[in-house]
Amino acid sequence: TAGNRIFHFGHCRVSMSMTEIRLGFTAIKANIQARDPIRTLSILSHPHSLHKVKSSDGCCITHHLFNFYVDKVFKHCKTEDSFINRKISSIANSFLSMKRKLRQCHEQNKCMCEEESTEKFKQILANYEGLNVTSAAIKSLGELDILLDWME
Amino acid sequence: YGVGKWIRKPECRNINRTWCDLSSETSDYEEQYYASVKAFLNGMCSDWIETTRFNPLTDTKIDPPMVSVSSTEKSISIILTAPEKWKRSPEGESISLLQVYPGLQYNVSVLNKKTKKRWWFSISNTTLVVPWLEPGTAYCVSAQIRVTTPLLHSGFSKEYCIATLKDSVTF
Repeated sequence: TAGNRIFHFGHCRVSMSMTEIRLGFTAIKANIQARDPIRTLSILSHPHSLHKVKSSDGCCITHHLFNFYVDKVFKHCKTEDSFINRKISSIANSFLSMKRKLRQCHEQNKCMCEEESTEKFKQILANYEGLNVTSAAIKSLGELDILLDWME
Repeated sequence: YGVGKWIRKPECRNINRTWCDLSSETSDYEEQYYASVKAFLNGMCSDWIETTRFNPLTDTKIDPPMVSVSSTEKSISIILTAPEKWKRSPEGESISLLQVYPGLQYNVSVLNKKTKKRWWFSISNTTLVVPWLEPGTAYCVSAQIRVTTPLLHSGFSKEYCIATLKDSVTF
């Protein structure tokens, strides 16, 4: 599909269509971020930016984060706006297919988790669980560009 | 965003102009930001009003590239230079946008002023040689920057025109 790119996470190579996800997120970004009133906490960037994660840990963190978004974020982001909901489900579908591809790498032991990435993901979960589910899910969705920027 | 500490901007206190340069405060493009402002008059003041969340990577307006052209009898050479990232002082380290956006490309338009024929090129490197042109003819070049992800593009530069050298064969 348009905008497919091959991402190299060490030995794990995954093709992903970032352009579709980017376009979908750009369409809902202002709406979703406006629903998040909390300025003092970031789910993905607190206390340290994703950019601090070593590239060797890239596959593990990406695998964890795709699972996180599919299992804990998208399903809790239903809004009263059907346009927004359609965009969210389109992004979710893209994430679902990428989650499967990353799982294959994981099963082939090409996606090893080192301590640093495990700790970082624990921190992300702690940030998420520090809020009620809907607020945490909306905040996480509003930070999708942080994940996309980091991946690229 | 996510830090919980507002950065004060003394240069923008008690001002009556309607803008404030926050380049310095938002120069880390791995972070995201909010800005807030209030107005006051005769001792009364408004509520704080916030911007939307600003992501320097995706919300930046990119300037067109610099274009320089030279010509021979039947070709023109085009050299493109992407703008640099904002820096605190002229002595500061120059960071090209190519480092910030690894997927940065250029769209180049070349117009034959006589025939009005136009060619388009999409290139990743910064030099382009257009061969097989007519001697003694004016060509105008304009270029644009395009980033694939995130999806961004600059406007087109102004046109830079140059004439190919006249045919050196004389009868």
